Amino acid sequence: MSAQRLVEQFETLEKQDHAARLAMWMFLGSETLLFGALFASYGYYRGMYPSGFVQALHHNSVALGTTNTVVLITSSFTVALGVHFIRENKARLAAGLLALSTAFGAVFLVVKGFEYAHHIHENALPAGMYSFVDQPPAGVVLGYTLYWFMTALHGLHVIAGMIMLAVVAVLCWKGRYGTHRYVAVENVGLYWHLVDVVWIFLWPLFYLTD
Amino acid sequence: MISAHVTTPKLIGSWIALLVLTFLSFGISLLGLGEAELFIALSISVVKTFVVLFIFMHLVEQRFANRLIVILTFLFIALLVALTVADPLTRKTFPPRPDPAANPYP
Repeated sequence: MSAQRLVEQFETLEKQDHAARLAMWMFLGSETLLFGALFASYGYYRGMYPSGFVQALHHNSVALGTTNTVVLITSSFTVALGVHFIRENKARLAAGLLALSTAFGAVFLVVKGFEYAHHIHENALPAGMYSFVDQPPAGVVLGYTLYWFMTALHGLHVIAGMIMLAVVAVLCWKGRYGTHRYVAVENVGLYWHLVDVVWIFLWPLFYLTD
Repeated sequence: MISAHVTTPKLIGSWIALLVLTFLSFGISLLGLGEAELFIALSISVVKTFVVLFIFMHLVEQRFANRLIVILTFLFIALLVALTVADPLTRKTFPPRPDPAANPYP
């Protein structure tokens, strides 16, 4: 096991870890604001075209959306357990849990892929590519455009999170992290939880409410 | 090192709570409550977010500096969404939306 290296600008490892954690929270804050702008445009257009918007969302499969919610919440739970066990120096167990979380991420993407395939088949596509209904009421196209943009941006975050989870899982297995060193695992976990939180809001907005 | 307050039973409890809230949200959506539905669904989402933030993301055991960032982010998003949505919801004296006849879809 390699001990954590104290870099020049910090007095103690504790301060160094705090700086890493604080920076991650700031990054997550800016990520949330990126999604926040999209949530604001969602609210704007839903307020402007209430009926057309809801008509677009009615077409989404609540069963698949809810499945994905359960999958992501469970993956968040396994990540939290992984972080918990790496702190207790159970590196192999933590590696297994992080790998399991990566697999849950893949399940999420497969389910989302089925939904996308269905939408593509029906030509329920964003903006100028839309041709699902010939004369859609105003707002339907905007609803689909925001649906695609917000879920696809979230999907990209899932892919990024899966890559990072896989990397820390391998490094945990190799014994790089443990009680002496785990901030990187924590920070990757924080990123994954953010992905979960964004979906916790996307799910009611695009699947549940009418 | 931070003393760990988040224990395995707390993590399992949070997971179960999140699943219960998910199915609660799903069940309420079937009732067809109309206008109130969106508000209730988003309120449940906010509660779920707090569970994730404080237990899964260990915010409960971290310094105030980290919590401050979360508080500020929430305030900024609330401000952004509230001011943006206030426009279409309060239009009284001019057309609430563009005329579709003037801008037909391609």
